[in-house]
Amino acid sequence: MASTTLDFRRGAASGRAAFLARQGANWVFLLPTLIFFIGWQVYPIFRVLWMSLTDYHFLRNQPAAWVGFRNYANALADPILLTGLLRAATFTALFLPGMIFVPMLLAILVDRVRQPTLAATYRLILLIPAVIPGPLIFVLWKWLYNFNIGPIDYFLVQVGIVTPQTAPQWLGDPKLTLPAIALMEVWWGLGYHTMFYLAGLAAIPKELSEAARVDGANEWRLFWHVTLPRLRPILLVLVVLRFGTAMAVIDEYLILGGFNRALPTYTWTVYMWDLAFQIGDWFQGYAAAIGWIGAAAMLVVVGGLFWVFRSRD
Amino acid sequence: MATGELARLGVRSTAGPRRRPVPVGTIVRHVVLVAFMLVILVPLAWVLLLSIKSIPDAYRPGFWPQHFDFTHYTYALTNIPTLPRNMLNSVFVTLSTVVITTICAVLGGYALVHLRLRGRAVVLGLLVASLFFPTRVTSLIAIFETQRALGLINTTAGLILPYITLNLALSVFIMRGIFEQISHELVDAARIDGAGPWRTLLSVLLPLTRNGIVVVIIVNFVSAWGEYLLGVTLTNDQEVRTLPVVLAGAFGGMGQWAWPRIAAVYVIAIAPGLAAFALSQRWYMQGLQEGALKY
Repeated sequence: MASTTLDFRRGAASGRAAFLARQGANWVFLLPTLIFFIGWQVYPIFRVLWMSLTDYHFLRNQPAAWVGFRNYANALADPILLTGLLRAATFTALFLPGMIFVPMLLAILVDRVRQPTLAATYRLILLIPAVIPGPLIFVLWKWLYNFNIGPIDYFLVQVGIVTPQTAPQWLGDPKLTLPAIALMEVWWGLGYHTMFYLAGLAAIPKELSEAARVDGANEWRLFWHVTLPRLRPILLVLVVLRFGTAMAVIDEYLILGGFNRALPTYTWTVYMWDLAFQIGDWFQGYAAAIGWIGAAAMLVVVGGLFWVFRSRD
Repeated sequence: MATGELARLGVRSTAGPRRRPVPVGTIVRHVVLVAFMLVILVPLAWVLLLSIKSIPDAYRPGFWPQHFDFTHYTYALTNIPTLPRNMLNSVFVTLSTVVITTICAVLGGYALVHLRLRGRAVVLGLLVASLFFPTRVTSLIAIFETQRALGLINTTAGLILPYITLNLALSVFIMRGIFEQISHELVDAARIDGAGPWRTLLSVLLPLTRNGIVVVIIVNFVSAWGEYLLGVTLTNDQEVRTLPVVLAGAFGGMGQWAWPRIAAVYVIAIAPGLAAFALSQRWYMQGLQEGALKY
């Protein structure tokens, strides 16, 4: 009895030290993640913010001077940036509907396949593009769209829709470039996004659709009143995540469009890269401001999307 | 047996037990699905076929070649000077990235779910925020500066550091989802048995998270193996670059970059990912179902 009280007292006296020691020991588990996350993601973001307030030119010798918001003022009056933002928004608008509805349709179809081997095979094939890295997908589609050897134009000529003379130049014709890249993106994300929806569909109790059917609901009403409301959280995550990636696309544009300013692939991201690592004496202060303007424009819309999709329950 | 099997699988018999023929809806559904499968597979079949076409056939329109030529693979590996080096670079960078990121994600996911952490919400908030912010593009200039300060510009090994963060937040979330499926009672039981946090993780929990780890490995393998933006920004010389950067910069044409040869390089480039996926797909699929998609 006496010894327990004694232990208890000692515990109380060293309680704070023990708490700190345990917290420290627990934080060790997060340390590796935090080092890389802060060092190569959080810090660079704020470092770029600081750069954007200076006239830092990488290839100039004099130190960077503070210029306040002058870069932002200049950038917001820069027609190349404004066109670039508009082009990125156009691409997003082209890409998002296909990326949302095609996988949803596909997931509903796959979800109904009851034959286990077939269901597994469909899922397996769907995931193949998801294990090919993006840049390699872009290289492949650059060839698919090629008007000399690409099979897409060959197919269109064979079917008789176009002649070799009128075959579309998917990546060279400014009207076609962004839709062509959007189509490629939908192809790439088809399997991955379908798996997202399938995870959501699996969580819908089967009794629910059974009951609706017994009550005489047709497939369409079933989709609107049972399936779609249950998929809403997944829809929200996908829309917001993909909106972010679509607005800030860069690899696709660099690989498929290069630095041709006349092409719609020259968006704010490519402009930022061009300014920071290629044009003149690498005006990285200005490029940093463009990077933050693009990010801010995106955050405003993501915030708006969250507001639109906010739970009303 | 057969009916029992079907009942167990939860087949919905909308048409009632008497109607045996396959409903039209089912046929339409499978036709649509097969069409989608073809859309996915044909481009890949095309590039595979291109890599084994004879050179004249490659420049002649048509899907199926008149003559096959299987020498493009050995040609590409022996006659394109930097190619073996580029492949080695890719393997080195990718393996290092995958190992380090997976360790980070397992430790981090475990700590966020099963350990008491003051300020956990701040870490979670930052990680979530990074998913909705175009970090990759906006941070590029400062990453270039950091790498330069560390003397890592134009080095292959230097790429590993920024590559780790490509999917770090996502990987931590995947592992967090997996660890959340493990009951706290199990963790408490291990603690009562006297196991510390490390012992609990390594000998009790780790075997249960195998499928999630496979998902994390595949996700990070794919993104590191194919990374382009950082690779093209932080390296200059062909011999320190990775395979995708070289491939993306190559123009198909004549000579060593003739179309079938470049297609052979392409097949070599996508093969490891597909092979890893084929070998691990059982665990990968289970991992996806266990909560890797629920972040």
